Amino acid sequence: MSGPEMRTLRRFFKRLVAWANTQQDEERLRAEIEEHLALQTAENLRAGLSPVEARRQAVLKFGAVEAMREGYRDQRGLPFMEASIQDTRHALRRLRNAPAFTITTVLTLALGIGATTSIFTLVHAVLLKSLAVANPGQLYRLGKEVHCCVFSGYDQGKEFSIVSYDLYKYFRDNTKGFAELAAFQAGGGSLFGVKRSSGGEATRSYRGEFVSGNYFAMFGVNAFAGRMLSASDDQPGAQPVTVMSHRLWQQKYGSEPSVIGSVFNFNGKPFTVVGIAPPGFFGDTLVDSPPDFFLPLAAEPLVQGDNTLLHSPNAHWLDLIGRIRPGETSASIEAQMRVELRQWLLSHWGEMDNNARANLPRQTLYLSPGGAGITSMRERYEHWLHILILVSGFVLLIVCANVANLLLVRGMQRRQQTSLSMALGARPSRLVRQVLTESILLSLLGGAAGLAIAFAGTRLILHFAFPAVSGMPGIPISASPSLPVLLFAFCVSLITGVAFGIAPAWIAARVDPMEALRGANRSTARTGSLPRKALVVVQTALSLVLLSAAGLLTAALRNLENQNFGFDQDRRIVVNIEPQVASYRAEQLSSIYRRVRDSMSGMPGVAEVALCSYSPLKGDSWGDGVFVDGHPAPGPKEDNSSSFERVTAGYFHVIGTPIVKGRAISEQDTETSQHVAVINEAFAKKFFKNENPIGKHFGRSGIGASRQYEIVGIAKDARYLTYNLGQPIGPFFFLPEPQHDVFSNPEFTKGDLGTHFLGDIVVAMKPGGSLSEANVRRAIAAVDPNIPVILVRSLRDQIASQFTQQRLIARLTSFFGILSLVLASIGLYGVTAYNAGRRTGEIGVRMALGANRWRCSGADTPRRVRADSLWIIGWIAIDVRRRAIPGQSALRHESI
Amino acid sequence: MKEKTDVLQGTLALMVLKTLDVLGPLHGYGVARRIEQISGDLLTVNQGTLYPVLLKLEQEGSIASEWGASENNRKARFYRLTRDGRKRLQAETRGWEQTAAIIGRFFAVKVEDLK
Repeated sequence: MSGPEMRTLRRFFKRLVAWANTQQDEERLRAEIEEHLALQTAENLRAGLSPVEARRQAVLKFGAVEAMREGYRDQRGLPFMEASIQDTRHALRRLRNAPAFTITTVLTLALGIGATTSIFTLVHAVLLKSLAVANPGQLYRLGKEVHCCVFSGYDQGKEFSIVSYDLYKYFRDNTKGFAELAAFQAGGGSLFGVKRSSGGEATRSYRGEFVSGNYFAMFGVNAFAGRMLSASDDQPGAQPVTVMSHRLWQQKYGSEPSVIGSVFNFNGKPFTVVGIAPPGFFGDTLVDSPPDFFLPLAAEPLVQGDNTLLHSPNAHWLDLIGRIRPGETSASIEAQMRVELRQWLLSHWGEMDNNARANLPRQTLYLSPGGAGITSMRERYEHWLHILILVSGFVLLIVCANVANLLLVRGMQRRQQTSLSMALGARPSRLVRQVLTESILLSLLGGAAGLAIAFAGTRLILHFAFPAVSGMPGIPISASPSLPVLLFAFCVSLITGVAFGIAPAWIAARVDPMEALRGANRSTARTGSLPRKALVVVQTALSLVLLSAAGLLTAALRNLENQNFGFDQDRRIVVNIEPQVASYRAEQLSSIYRRVRDSMSGMPGVAEVALCSYSPLKGDSWGDGVFVDGHPAPGPKEDNSSSFERVTAGYFHVIGTPIVKGRAISEQDTETSQHVAVINEAFAKKFFKNENPIGKHFGRSGIGASRQYEIVGIAKDARYLTYNLGQPIGPFFFLPEPQHDVFSNPEFTKGDLGTHFLGDIVVAMKPGGSLSEANVRRAIAAVDPNIPVILVRSLRDQIASQFTQQRLIARLTSFFGILSLVLASIGLYGVTAYNAGRRTGEIGVRMALGANRWRCSGADTPRRVRADSLWIIGWIAIDVRRRAIPGQSALRHESI
Repeated sequence: MKEKTDVLQGTLALMVLKTLDVLGPLHGYGVARRIEQISGDLLTVNQGTLYPVLLKLEQEGSIASEWGASENNRKARFYRLTRDGRKRLQAETRGWEQTAAIIGRFFAVKVEDLK
């Protein structure tokens, strides 16, 4: 260390020590001054002055003792720290003396800071946090956007973001820039019927995810107990093994060590548990029910049977995350992978259809940072969280304004004292610091209380936003504050303290010392009433903005919820089942469904029963290209996609969607009869324009096979999909479950078997009929006890659950709006009461001069009220013009 | 009346160091007197301003102090230069001489020198 720095450092320590021995140093200085003056006086005496004059001259020569003392003190200790401690003590004393004020302020602040912090906890968990893995900065994932869950063909539009097993192996073996490149099932896994082979427990459905053997090695995640999967587990013919989540191990099995090594049946196939994942690890994707089991990719055909995707090179269902080698850049790896993608596609040229061939030159891919995993939550909730940040920010602003107002009023009461201090020589900077210390102290107290509110608030929000499904793991977001959250709360408190303290401090510093002499409280000048009024107006305006936002959000939600969905919500019950789990062959399914329908129709109160792939607004559907017989083949850029469902006979009647033309799917559509389809109005409009679609044919696999289905009916448009809720309903067609399609490509035929596994039983009840969950389970168990029943709920509840997030935002915004209006009213009351209080003297004089009581109370009010309401109305006008507040547009944009 | 010059910021410390270097240990009054004498009364120093400077120098380790007896046999604080202080004085002296030389050349310069 060089000279000057060393000296500064040494000086600092000396000061620190000196600060501890204040008394001693004061004494030393006094002695030195005394000695100095004595010596100078002696010399002056020698020069012939009189003793009195000698002393006087000595003192004159020495200069102002107090100023010098002040300078000396500034040099000696740590004046800043000393003053801060003094200010803090002073502020604490003052706060203790005004408990009502302190409690009100701290509570107000706690609400504001707590609201902001609890929203930040969510923002941090969903938008900012990395996975709990080693060096997340080295991870890169394939794709800019998140796609789910299975994509077929050789053409992925804007970017190739999910890949088949074949393409994964090609990338893995050829991309040397990755130290490890792992693949895993997109969409956070699927449900399996899981049963421990010993112990006689019933089959339960758990989420499991297929991952490549190097998945854990790539993340750098070590086993909590036992071992993780390795590359040798992910070989054809390897002993089937699985890794269990820490949550399940702890909650279901009480951390029992014997779980490791025991055998669990997945859809009836035995797997040995070899290890437990660490507690913080919830997989690659933050979802509201993370997987409880990780299974090697190689075991996928074993479990999925007819549904297997592993060996179809054109079935893309895997996400990729890789750890890049030190020194490699993602850009160079990306460039290399683009070349590899081209090569791989060319090697499958023979299997491509014409459109895929035409689009091949445009196929590309992107790498993006993968430290946060597959960020599907981030994309889904970004708008949602932005609205909440905005709203809580508003509340915090209002809180600041409110507390500033209270402090201003307090500052007014203190005017006399302040001006006295000024008159006695206190520096304005010191007075400002005193007020700021008080406000920062208040805000830190508020912040501490706010943490408790934040914890409770986060838990409440999580509870409402992601309602727990029994037996399923909840969302892996912890409500308890982490270090970043604590830091955030601290910073917010500090900033808040300065924000609401700055105006009162500034006003305190502008006090005229003369006022102390005149008697500050006797003046009638209403000094400082403008800032307080402005604050109240700002508060009211902000809370009105919040309230109108809340109103708009609520109205938007009501419009979404109460729109005509095109089916009956009343007296309809949806039972989710997982037929895959019971490991049926696809050919068995029709008879199983028949038995399920019969078994359930026999229950009292039940009118009719039908099954479908996905019931309306469940959030999923099948999709494929449509090739209409007699129409030209669609061009490479033409969108010929449509959603489709497989349903059993009687479905349209059960769900309450009217058939507008032709007939519905019925018992006459059997395995051997002509393959038929019912289309919706949007389908008719999109593909047939002015033609009559009834009797026309279309197919799903190219223009050559366009006589696959005969259209027998048109159903009224009904809403099935849970995205684009603000948009018109898209094209849809419905196929009878018993009719198995045969495609020219045997892979397609095999892949299509998956569409025959119907997941939802829709039950129409007789008026007044009721159905208990136990009865439903019994009726299904009577058909086959191995069919797991996931969920039984009314169709109305299913629809409502789609709007959970919107409802939560609307409610939170309303809550925040009302809260802020209450705060604003308190602020308004405070200002009015204070102004009236200040004018007591004036009013007394007026009354003494003959004014009556009514005139006095009225003299002030109308004018004030008129002025304030003018202000506020002005603000509302501005507010209304800005009604394109982000809330509504975001909601429309998101429209989950 | 003689015109008096204000002390340039920071130079007072240097004067204190030099005084202590030349005269050895001194009490505060002594330092103040010497500075006045050496500057030939051209410099006005409120004697009191010396004490914060002394304190700062002591904190920085350039001077040290201890109690002793003054000429009139009273308790007085005596200041002396430390090794660090001597080094610092040398360094700062060089700095000043350089500055003075540069400024001196600027004053000496004539129009013809630059042609």
